[in-house]
Amino acid sequence: MVKVEAKKRTVSKKTKRSWRKHIDIKDVDKFLENKRLDERLGTPFSERLDSELFVIDNERNNEPVGTLTTKKERRLALKQKEPRCFAILKPHTAVPDPIAKRNRVKTPEERKNPITRLKEAKRKLNGQLKLKEKIAERNKAIAESKRKSRFKRGDFTTDIWEDKPVTQSELNSEWLISDTIRHTLANTGQKRKRVPEILYKKPSILPAVEAPHPGTSYNPSYNDHQELLIAIAEKEKKLIKEEEHLKRVTTKMFTKVTTEKKTENWINELSEGLPVKSNKNSEDSNVEDTDPVVKSVNPPVKNAKKTLVQRRKQKEQKQLALKQAKEKLEKKKVADVYKLRLLEKQLTSKELKAKKLREKRMKLKQRKMTEPKTLNKRKFEAPEPDFQMANELAGSLRASAPVGNLLKDRFKSLQQRNILAPSALILKRNKLKVKRFIKPDHKIPLQ
Amino acid sequence: MVVIGKKKYQSGEGAQFMSRKAAMKKLQLSLKQFRKLCILKGIYPREPRNRKRAQQGHTGIKTLYHKKDIQFLMHEPIIWKLREYKIFGKKVSKAKALRDFGALRRYLQNHPTLKLDHIVKERYPTFIDALRDLDDCLTLCFLFSTFPSMKYVPRDQTILCRRLTVEFIHAVIAAKALRKIFVSIKGYYYQADIRGQTVTWIVSHHFCFEPQSKLEVDFRIMSTFVEFYVTMLGFVNFRLYHSLNLHYPPKFTNAGTSDKTLVDEEAYVSERISALNTPLASLNATTESLEEEVDIDNFSNETDPSQLEAAKLEMTKIKKLKTLFKGLKFFINREVPREPLVFALRSFGGEVSWDKLLFVGATFDENDESITHHIVDRPSMDKQFISRYYVQPQWVFDSVNARELLPVEKYLMGCILPPHLSPFTDSQRDQTYIPPEERVLMDSEYRLKDAENDSEEASEEEQSIAGDKDNKESDEDVDEISDPEEDLDEVEQIDEVNAEKDQKRLEKKKQMKVKAGQVTKEDPWEKEKREKQEYRLREKMIKKKHRNLYKSMMKGREERAKEIWLLRKKRRIHDETEKEKRKEARKLKKSIATD
Repeated sequence: MVKVEAKKRTVSKKTKRSWRKHIDIKDVDKFLENKRLDERLGTPFSERLDSELFVIDNERNNEPVGTLTTKKERRLALKQKEPRCFAILKPHTAVPDPIAKRNRVKTPEERKNPITRLKEAKRKLNGQLKLKEKIAERNKAIAESKRKSRFKRGDFTTDIWEDKPVTQSELNSEWLISDTIRHTLANTGQKRKRVPEILYKKPSILPAVEAPHPGTSYNPSYNDHQELLIAIAEKEKKLIKEEEHLKRVTTKMFTKVTTEKKTENWINELSEGLPVKSNKNSEDSNVEDTDPVVKSVNPPVKNAKKTLVQRRKQKEQKQLALKQAKEKLEKKKVADVYKLRLLEKQLTSKELKAKKLREKRMKLKQRKMTEPKTLNKRKFEAPEPDFQMANELAGSLRASAPVGNLLKDRFKSLQQRNILAPSALILKRNKLKVKRFIKPDHKIPLQ
Repeated sequence: MVVIGKKKYQSGEGAQFMSRKAAMKKLQLSLKQFRKLCILKGIYPREPRNRKRAQQGHTGIKTLYHKKDIQFLMHEPIIWKLREYKIFGKKVSKAKALRDFGALRRYLQNHPTLKLDHIVKERYPTFIDALRDLDDCLTLCFLFSTFPSMKYVPRDQTILCRRLTVEFIHAVIAAKALRKIFVSIKGYYYQADIRGQTVTWIVSHHFCFEPQSKLEVDFRIMSTFVEFYVTMLGFVNFRLYHSLNLHYPPKFTNAGTSDKTLVDEEAYVSERISALNTPLASLNATTESLEEEVDIDNFSNETDPSQLEAAKLEMTKIKKLKTLFKGLKFFINREVPREPLVFALRSFGGEVSWDKLLFVGATFDENDESITHHIVDRPSMDKQFISRYYVQPQWVFDSVNARELLPVEKYLMGCILPPHLSPFTDSQRDQTYIPPEERVLMDSEYRLKDAENDSEEASEEEQSIAGDKDNKESDEDVDEISDPEEDLDEVEQIDEVNAEKDQKRLEKKKQMKVKAGQVTKEDPWEKEKREKQEYRLREKMIKKKHRNLYKSMMKGREERAKEIWLLRKKRRIHDETEKEKRKEARKLKKSIATD
């Protein structure tokens, strides 16, 4: 093969920059690199003796690799091993540190004169402390005591209902007005707080734990059980009826339409008013359009002013009407004297009506007291009553199965007693939607 | 132009209410914190009279709070603690994210704690107030004591619930305050009478924990309720123990120095306490807590005598109930739920034990010959002792509800149990017809008449009819008893006077003559008539306001009595015809036999 040499281009190496650019220093670099590697690794392996490279293992293997069998041993070995975090502090080359001696800044403790150090140790031993140290010690003790006396949940060591004098006896004199007492108390740290009355009232008259229906016994009598089942069935029937009514009134009200018809309807609806309509319609519209006179839908209003005479007459008419009405009333008043019996009758009937209404309202109020109030958008949903069918009843404690959820029952009870507002738990919060995209310059082209 | 006059919604309902959002903004709290604060302080949302006005013209339904309530919340020092919590949470999450575990540990060690003592005192100014609101507290605490640690339900809360509920049970046992037990499919209903307050609570059956659906119950809210109730129950326990002359926290009388105590005394004691089987150490051994003998005051003019009589009867019954199981020894078999039975038996004076391997705290062995009742819930057993009854657990509950030891025959092992009736419906049973079969279940004294002993039947029938009359007679008895006491007093007074004028009497004695006295005979008919008249007069004195109510009440009573009478009559006729039929059948049989 004939070696084809690239044509040598002559370039100027006049300036330092151009020299650097065009000079070929590969061989020098390579040599230096090799030399550095040698320095790092020592003499090259090829030049070293076998005895330098390999060691004949004469000793018995005291600790084979797999000795660390127990977890404890492994842990101990791990503990005694040098932490990996210190590896970075170690030299990773064989090249010695060019600066042979490095100075370290000594700590103030190290910098101290050994004599003073001795002196201080002696002083501390004698118990002569500096103010700074005293304060530090005191602070430490305070922190310790604070940590120990910290409130711990579940420690009940006092009787909070023990009678304690609310005010001092000197404040109970007749010469002090309430403002003075309040002011004095506020400055002693005992503020007299007014508690709203509602705190002592229950929000509902319903009991916290309602008496159980005898039919919910684990071994109920036949009658009780039947009673319970009948009551539940009645409720269920009512619900079914309501549901049926709603269905009839909503879904069933509309006739069913086939899909073809539906699409046709849809096309008809959407193409309303478009020129693709049938010929008949277009003819009709043409007829209408031919009318030459254009009429506005709402013609402009003419502002017709009344004349002064008209105004005066109107005013007079009004006054007259008022006067007549007044006269009529006066006349009626005189005539009413002769209609006393009728009036009395009217009054009694009115009172009777009012009484009936009042009673009705009272009844409504009574009923409302047992019902949960509307505290939230969401309506209270009564929990489903717990029951077991006759075949599910085991009749013995051992074989009885769990029924219902007591926690849910409590939760609903709290809602029913107006302590909690009925609400639905929102599991997924609506987060702000962020549109994600890749910036065009970050896009990696496939080809 | 300046508008003169009031602006809208600056007074009246529009100014009284604020929405939840406004309240949160005013208190500078997040929704979580606000909810927590409201639950702890006992502030609930309100329903306004006119919603549109209260919402300042906004339609729709908002959650509204009273302005005064929110102002009350503003004073609460706990708000600062809640803010501290928020900061704590932020610090912890940051340390976690940076994997700075040293700082994390330090933060967790110095976590802020809510102290709710002052709120308990504020919401329940007296101990009785706290007792009145104990139903919810107990039910929730008993429920949460069975939960594992979950999100929003920390483990220490569960443990605290367990500890406090066990302590409460101990207090009820020591006070002998339990009154009723009802085993429903939901759980055990207990009713206790503590300081005159009836406390009812539910304890769920001992099944394993069922995972709860997230959608149904807000655990965070319920946990907050429990947080408050735990504090309240702790203080109630403290007070109860001290009023019962017991150590709080509970201690033992005989904590022997066995090996276990030396290992971990605290665990040993808590285990024994949860066994519910040992009496607790009293605070002051020299002064035993005295059982107060309370007599009902005799203010005959104030209360109805029949009511007074009923109250007295109730008292004697309760007195009997308190020592119901005294002197009896029970052994609980493995399959029987231990805790409710130990609670029931121990609170009425029974001695209880169980298998040693089942739970700590067993006091005697199964082979003990002095055991009187063995409670089992299985159809048969291999090894049986003759010296004891093998009864099913329902016997205990029914006995407690009946307030006397029921005959064990119907509750023996393997028997089909009679129905477990609810003790909470007794008051409703007033003035209703109870068929004789059911009445037998309710009071054991009443015996069902069989067809054979006819004579008994007749007498029983008469008794039941004359039930009302008996009551009246007993009233009269009370009056008669009170008379001789007065006589005695008079005699004493006369004696004192006589001592002074002894001489005079001696002189006069000679002149005196003893005449045969005449017995004043009181006509019973006359007396009855007089009483009737007095009753009518009293009826007349009823205010106009209550007259209609009284009339309707009396009418209802009459109607119900009539109904009962009618049903009884029907039953009697039915029974008689049945008897006739049977007689004829018997005669026929006899005639056939003789033929």
